[in-house]
Formats: sequence, structure tokens, C-alpha cells
Amino acid sequence: MNAGRSPPGGPMHEVAVAQRMVEIALRAADENGGGRVVAARLLLGKLTCVDPETLDFAFGVATRGTLAEGCKLEIVRIPARLRCGSCGSEHERELLEPCPMCGAVGGEVLAGRELRLDTIDLEEAKTAASRFIQGEATGGSL
Amino acid sequence: MTTQVDVGRDVLQDNTRDAQANRELFARAGIYVLNLMSGAGAGKTTLLERTVGALNGRMRLAVIAGDLETRRDADRIGRHGVPVVQINTGGACHIEAHQIAKAAAQFELSEFDLLIIENVGNLVCPAEFDLGEHDKVMMLSCTEGHDKPAKYPLMFRESRAMLLSKMDLLPHTNFDVDAAIADARALNPGIEVIKLSALTGEGLSAWFDWIKSRINAARG
Repeated sequence: MNAGRSPPGGPMHEVAVAQRMVEIALRAADENGGGRVVAARLLLGKLTCVDPETLDFAFGVATRGTLAEGCKLEIVRIPARLRCGSCGSEHERELLEPCPMCGAVGGEVLAGRELRLDTIDLEEAKTAASRFIQGEATGGSL
Repeated sequence: MTTQVDVGRDVLQDNTRDAQANRELFARAGIYVLNLMSGAGAGKTTLLERTVGALNGRMRLAVIAGDLETRRDADRIGRHGVPVVQINTGGACHIEAHQIAKAAAQFELSEFDLLIIENVGNLVCPAEFDLGEHDKVMMLSCTEGHDKPAKYPLMFRESRAMLLSKMDLLPHTNFDVDAAIADARALNPGIEVIKLSALTGEGLSAWFDWIKSRINAARG
């Protein structure tokens, strides 16, 4: 038995999502001259089945030993936005919440399914090197 | 000094690309592919055993069974004389499109009419991962509670059909069939509902007919 292999509350796809995010971030860093990835912004729709806290934790684990280690993750939640199937009006509302105009439920999802790496902040290789040298010169302490 | 880089990439883009490749592969082979999803313990494997037992010989079918760690599901289904490939997700809660591509390569797809993917038992994650299937079908057992469509809307929204299973146990539960169907239809007006029991056989012929009609529809 491999008891305890899954985290409490069940296995998580946040781990898979975090790994993909790190791959995409590192690829984007590489395409833009390299350097350490110090921050990343994710657009996360509220209709996705991704838990932000679990994702934040999984992202920290997934970055270990990479140029994104210690990267600060900003998660921007995008509310659900629906176009009513009955009257066509557009509102921010939950899937099972009635349309405020006509009372119908459901409709076309315009926003809320996002799982998109929006931006990354790169520390330029030069800057990282000079910080390292400076740190060495001052003994690395405050 | 830091510089900000616009990335603007869908995190699951690789899966989407792999799913599209699967879709093209299935279309070329002329095989209809169904992705069966449910929470753990809703009865997917038992239903598949009944399905495979009834349809084998009337059509050519194959199964890909996803499981966290074991081969039990594949062994149970394989006893009915159909080819089964097991995907062990190693603790992951869902199947991804590239795993389906690898598993499907073990079949001569054009020799089959129907491929059923038994997803990992989980109401949340599998709905996020397109596998390139023709239809997603979700199964909800009446022992799980009728509030599931409201709590896990994505899977109900993405599915073409909802199977209400373990109907033989309905009298022993407080499951509200009408409420479950009403919520599922509010999320997905076109969703078809089939009530069944793999134990008593209730509703199974409707399920088999539905599969056959979908195979024909896929052939256009």
C-alpha cells in the first residue's frame, strides 16, 4: 500500500497545474534573455476547479531547484460572467444564480474559466550577478 | 532590476494540444470515444462490466481504465473478453490527454467501434482535462446526495449525459431525483439523464441504446 501518498482531502490536480505553470514560466524566461523568475501572475477563473491555496503551495514545491525558486505567485481571481440564455443580458453571477433581469438560470460563460499565466517578472542575469557580488563583499549580512 | 514579461499563456495549453491530436486520431480511425467520470465509488467499474458484457460481440469495443495505483479495475473489465489498457496515474486525480495517446497506441484503433475511458474517481479534477473524447458522461449515485450538481458544477456542465446510478438503493436514501435533475439541467439544459442500476439491470438498455445512438451520430 502507498497510504499517505495523496494529500489529506484527496489527490490534487493543483500539482499538475503548478508544474505546467513552472514549465511555461521558465520557457518564457528563456525566450526573454533568461534570468531568475521572481514573480508570476496567474489569472484564475472562479469556475475552474483549482484551489488557490493548494495551488500556491504546490507552486512553491514545483519551483524548487529551478530558476523560479522562491518566485512570488500572485493569483488574480476572475469572477464568473454569464450571458443570459433567455434575455441576453450580461452579468457577473454564479452558474446556478438566476439572471437579475429575467430570473432565468444558466447561460453562456463569458469569463470565469481562465487558467492563464499572465505575466512573469524576470530578474536580469546581470542584476542577479551584481547582487551576489555585493552580497559577498558585505559578507552577505545586513 | 526586474523586468515584466507578458506571457498570456493558457496553463493547460499542452493538454489542449494533445487532446486535439487525440481527437484527430480518433476521427481518422473512425472510433467513438466516451469519457466516463464520477466520484469515487459511484459504480463506474460495475457499470462497465455490465456494459462490456452486454455489448461485446454486438460491436467491437476497448477500454482504457484509469486508476490511482492498482490494476483491479482493468482486471475486472478484462475478464469480459475485451482489450483493456490500464493507466496508473500514480496518485494523480485525473487522466491527461498525453496518457490517453500513449494508451491508445496499444490498440489498433480502426478495428474498434467504441473506446470507453474510465476516468479516475473524482468529481472535481477530470472535468478540467480535455482528452479528445467525443462525449463526457458523468455518473452520480443516489447514495452521494442530490446537492452534487450545485457543488461540482463544472463536470455537470461539460457532460452530454448524466447517469443516476444505484437506483435500486433509492428507497433507502433521501436523494431527491427531481432536484438533482433540475440543478443539472439548469447548469446544462441539453444534458440527457438516464436512471439505472447495474445491480438489477434497470435502465441499462436505455444506456446501451444511448451509446449506440452516439456511435451512429459520430459516424455522421
